[in-house]
Amino acid sequence: MSFHGVPQGVTSPPAPASAGEDESHKTPGTLVLVFVFLAAFVVYYFVNWKLLSFLWRIG
Amino acid sequence: MSDRFRLCPTTGLKVHAQADALIKANAVVATVALLIGGVTAVLVMLTRWQAIHLLPADWFYRLLTVHGMNMLIFFILFFEMAVLYFASAVLLNSRVAAPKMAWSAFVLMVAGTGLVEWTMFTGRADVLFTSYVPLRAHPAFYLGVILFAVGALVVVSIFFATLVVAKREKTYQGSVPLVTFGAATAAIIAVITLGHGAAIYIPTFLWSLNLMHVDAQVYRLVWWGLGHSSQQINVAAMVSVWYLLGGLTVGAVVLNEKISRSAFVLYVLFISMASAHHLLVDPGMGAAWKVWNTSYAMYLAVLASMVHGFTVPAGMELGQRLRGYTKGLFEWLRKAPWGDPGFSALVFSVIIFGFVGGITGVTFGTEQINIIAHNTLRIPGHFHATVVGGTALAFMGVTYYVIPLIFRKRIAFWPLARIQPYLFAGGMLVFSVAMTFAGTFGVPRRHWDISFQQAPFEVQYAPAVDLVIGVMAVGGLVAALGGGIYILVTVWSVFFGQPMEKGARA
Repeated sequence: MSFHGVPQGVTSPPAPASAGEDESHKTPGTLVLVFVFLAAFVVYYFVNWKLLSFLWRIG
Repeated sequence: MSDRFRLCPTTGLKVHAQADALIKANAVVATVALLIGGVTAVLVMLTRWQAIHLLPADWFYRLLTVHGMNMLIFFILFFEMAVLYFASAVLLNSRVAAPKMAWSAFVLMVAGTGLVEWTMFTGRADVLFTSYVPLRAHPAFYLGVILFAVGALVVVSIFFATLVVAKREKTYQGSVPLVTFGAATAAIIAVITLGHGAAIYIPTFLWSLNLMHVDAQVYRLVWWGLGHSSQQINVAAMVSVWYLLGGLTVGAVVLNEKISRSAFVLYVLFISMASAHHLLVDPGMGAAWKVWNTSYAMYLAVLASMVHGFTVPAGMELGQRLRGYTKGLFEWLRKAPWGDPGFSALVFSVIIFGFVGGITGVTFGTEQINIIAHNTLRIPGHFHATVVGGTALAFMGVTYYVIPLIFRKRIAFWPLARIQPYLFAGGMLVFSVAMTFAGTFGVPRRHWDISFQQAPFEVQYAPAVDLVIGVMAVGGLVAALGGGIYILVTVWSVFFGQPMEKGARA
C-alpha cells in the first residue's frame, strides 16, 4: 500500500530480507535475460558485418 | 546554518542543511536546463521530420546547439552535482566540506551556463555541441564553458573533501556504501574529463580572440576527451543510481561487493578510451592507435557495464526471492512494484541502456563497421538510447524519491507520475530504434534537409526512409510528452506541493 503522491519505497520500505526463504542465492531469471541479451548482441553484430560485406564487396 | 542537521524519518540518515540546500539548487537548475533542451528537441525533431520541416536552416543549427549543450552538459552535470552531494554528505551522515566554496562553485556554474545560453540564443555560437575548430563562436561561449567547468571541478573537489571529513569525523562505519563508491568513480572520471576540457577550451578561447592557432585534428582529439568522457561520468552516476533505486524500491541486495566495486574501477582505468571511437574515420590517426583504443583495452570498460548489467537485475531478483517471490523464473519481476515510478524507470533504464545503447555502441565502435555508421543517424540513435533512455530516465526515477526524502514534498499529479516512465521509455525506445534504422539507410546526422533541394546533384533514399523518420518523430513526440509530464510533476511538487508531514507515514 502506498500513500497518494509518495512512492512505495518511502511509505512501505521493502521488508528485511529473510535468508531462510532462499538460501541458494541463485538468480535463474536474470540468467535467462543475460542469454536473451547475448543473442541480441550476436544477431546485431552479425547483421552489421553482413551489411558491410554487401556495401564493400571484395573482388 | 552550516552545522545544522535534520534526521530523515524514512531512512534515518542525518541530512546536513547545506547539503539539502545544494541538492535542491542543483536539481532545480538541472530541471530548467531539461526544459530548454526538451523544447528545442521537439523543434529540431519536427524539422528533421521531412514532412513538416519546421525551422529554417540557421535556426535548426542554432537550436540543435542549444539542445546538445543543455541536455548533454547542463541538465546532466547539474543533476550529477546533486548526486555528488547526496552520495557524500547525505549517505555518509556528514557535513559538506567548505559550503561557502560550494555555493561559489554553483554561482560559477550558473554564470557559465547563462553566458553559453546567451551566445547560443543570440546566434553568436551556431557551432553545435562539438564546436569543431575552425567553426568559430563568440569568445563568451568558450568563456562560459570554462567557467562552468571550473565550477564543476570545484564541486568534485568538495565531494572528495567531504569524503575525507566523513572519514575523520567517523560519521560512518566500515567501507563507504557502494552508491558512494560509484559516485566517487564518476567524480574521478569528471576530473579526467574537466582536465581535457581545460586543455582544449582555454586554447580555443584564445584562438577565438585571435591570440593563437588551434589545429583542427588536435582539437578533435582533445575535445573528445571532454565530449565522450563527460558521458562516462553519466554512466558511472547512472549505475550508482541503479543500485540506489534497486535498494529503495525492492530491497535489492548487492550480490558481491568486490565484483561491483572492481567493475567501477575498470571504468576509471579504461572507459576514457571510448573517446577514440569518434576519430575512427579521421585520417590523422593510425590503424594501431584506433584498434588499441577502441577494442582490446576498451572492452574492459564494456565488461564493467556488462557486470553491472548483470548484478543490478540479479540483486533485484535475489532481493525479491529472499522476500518470498520464488515461483518460476519471473515471479520476482511480475510482482515487483510496477506502479512505483522509481522502479519502472529503473527497469526501463537498464533495458534501453543495455539492449539498445550498449549493443549499438559496441558494434559501431568496431573500426570496420564504424565506416558505414559514422555521421549517420545511427549515431544519435545510439546515444539517445544511452544518455536519454538510460541516464536521464534513471535520474527521473530517482527524482521521485528525492522529492519526498530531500524536498519533503509529496509528488503532485501522482497518476501522471506513475505513467511518466512508461511514456518516456516507450517513446524513447521507438525514437532511438527508428533513428538507428534511418541511419542504416544512409540518412546523415546533423542535417537540416535530407532532400538536398538546392544541391547540384540528386540524392535518392529508399522510400522506407520517409516511413522510418515518421515513426521516429511519433516516438519522439511521445517521449517529449513523458518529459513534459516529468517537468510538470517535479516543478509543481517542489514549489506548490503538499508537504510530507501532512499525513504521510515516515
